[in-house]
Amino acid sequence: MRILVAIKRILDPSGMVVNRRRERIFINREEYFINPADRHALEMALQLKDREGAEVIVVSRGPARPGAEAQSDASARWALAMGADRAIHLQDEALLQADGTVVARVLAAVVERLGAVDLVLMGRQALDGMTGEEGPRLAEVLGWPSVVGAVALEPVNGSLRVVIRSGEGFQGLEVPLPALVTVDREVNKPRYPQGRRLINVYRDPEAVEHWTAEMLGLEVGQLTPLVQSRGRAFPAPRTLGSRAESVEELAQALARYISPFNPLGNG
Amino acid sequence: MDFTLSPEHEALRRLVREFAENEVRPVAKAIDREHRVPMENLKKAAKLGLLGVPFPQEYGGMGAGETGYCILMEELGRVCTSTATCIGAHIGIGAMSIYLDGTEEQKRKYLTPLAQGEKIAAFALTEPGAGSDAAAIRTRAVREGDSYILDGMKHFITNGGFADIVTVLAVTNPALGARGGITAFIVETHWEGFKVAGAANKMGIRGTDTAELVFEDLRVPEENVLGRVGEGFATFMKALDLGRLTLGAACLGGAQAALEASIAWAKARTAFGRPLAHMQTIQWMIADMATEIEALRSLVYRTAWLVDTGRPFSREAAMCKLYGSEVASRAIDRTLQIYGALGYSREAEIERMFRDARIAEIFEGTNEIQRFVIAAQIFREAGVRIRP
Repeated sequence: MRILVAIKRILDPSGMVVNRRRERIFINREEYFINPADRHALEMALQLKDREGAEVIVVSRGPARPGAEAQSDASARWALAMGADRAIHLQDEALLQADGTVVARVLAAVVERLGAVDLVLMGRQALDGMTGEEGPRLAEVLGWPSVVGAVALEPVNGSLRVVIRSGEGFQGLEVPLPALVTVDREVNKPRYPQGRRLINVYRDPEAVEHWTAEMLGLEVGQLTPLVQSRGRAFPAPRTLGSRAESVEELAQALARYISPFNPLGNG
Repeated sequence: MDFTLSPEHEALRRLVREFAENEVRPVAKAIDREHRVPMENLKKAAKLGLLGVPFPQEYGGMGAGETGYCILMEELGRVCTSTATCIGAHIGIGAMSIYLDGTEEQKRKYLTPLAQGEKIAAFALTEPGAGSDAAAIRTRAVREGDSYILDGMKHFITNGGFADIVTVLAVTNPALGARGGITAFIVETHWEGFKVAGAANKMGIRGTDTAELVFEDLRVPEENVLGRVGEGFATFMKALDLGRLTLGAACLGGAQAALEASIAWAKARTAFGRPLAHMQTIQWMIADMATEIEALRSLVYRTAWLVDTGRPFSREAAMCKLYGSEVASRAIDRTLQIYGALGYSREAEIERMFRDARIAEIFEGTNEIQRFVIAAQIFREAGVRIRP
């Protein structure tokens, strides 16, 4: 079984400080790491490798710290050190400005170029964008079924049994392969890279493959994002509510609040 | 001059930081309270190869050199001095003495399982009558056929109670003293005659095992002589020399933890209508702490570079231990002052850090001995031989 895990290298939000008064986000500590949900997806793939002997290929995208461009593939290296069989880093300026449509197009091209991919795994959403669109978009471009928010996976006779969270509980699904599954956070404990493997992977410049959009046969037009960012605004500050002194008063206040929305009118 | 760490060392730092935060930190308080060694974490660390960081991969190690080992100790020291001490005694003096002076067979037989964390090492030098005056040890090793019979005792031996392999220093010729009369041995603790007689009840690093060892008619085969017969003192001093550097790295981590705790408190605590961070006294305490830490960091990693590039490092290593232990003590003392009464309470972590830090000025060669070592080197270069 060949599994492709798509990981995104993002800015560590714990190094950021939000200043509401000045409506600015300050980056105090510029550190990058693998999007947490992607790490859980990778762990899920590695567990399948342990159990079923699957082949795990990682494709990473994301920036480097200015002045440390050579380390932009660090996430791919970490994934390789965790136990992936191959790691590919998408080394392209254009990808740094990509939106969901571009990412889907590029990752689909990676899947095509690799060939024989049975399963694509990725995190449910990235901490920076929080749109959760990359997975479903990619599945759409590939023409594959997709499952969002998996908690557990099990391959069974050419299809995949997936457990997802549903309301207060869980739901079991069965999906034919090839398929795309996005993985929820906190569903497993991502393993630590083994030390010696880590040292050797980081020492070897050839350990990670670097692919560009050109190699994938994509032109500039296909890399232009559809979505343009026009600006940023902070959500309006929360206003203080009012305090009810008794249950009576609370009921009255609620009734007053609800009644304009009540299509059945009063009573 | 390139002061950046290589990508593999940055990655190692990240790995140890994650391990320390996720596995070591949650039990740090408990192991101190319950006076137990974090065996589970030692096993987890072993699986990741962390118990063999500086040793070459051909001997089962990680091949990250002395720089990698300093990173390991710094990141562990930042979270739990006890854990750093257990691992430091295993790698830095126990296994290291075999790496520095062992024969090929001894390295294959003993160093490889130690580097892979399958076995644990300890280093037995200190005796009730011989601490700083290490040459005054009395444990005796008498030649008998193709073995030596060891009789005597050691105390304050880190990991001594559960180690598999202990390197022991004993007197083979009382008449010759340190030069020619002392020999180092590799002892397997399951051998007849090796006994663990007790454990010390310590002020700090209570998550370590500090054992009293007794040797009674302990038969050691001659192929387990470490280094040359009669030259054991030099073998042991070599290991201690190197151990000083990494103890400095652990102190760097501890001082860093104190600084981080001070900053957090200065942000959070208000007095006289504003956070402590706005008060000059606090600002100066933190600035002084940070400056010393930065200086220590440069000293430690430059010394690691000296070791990794085969240059002489003895004086600088002694400086790392001397300065590191004092910087850490000063930093945690100021941090305790910044925290005030809360720092004094056993509910917070500051009092544990305070108790833990104090040992660094004493073990691995007291700071008085370090000062002697540094002065001796300086004066030797000036043509004067001084004695302790």
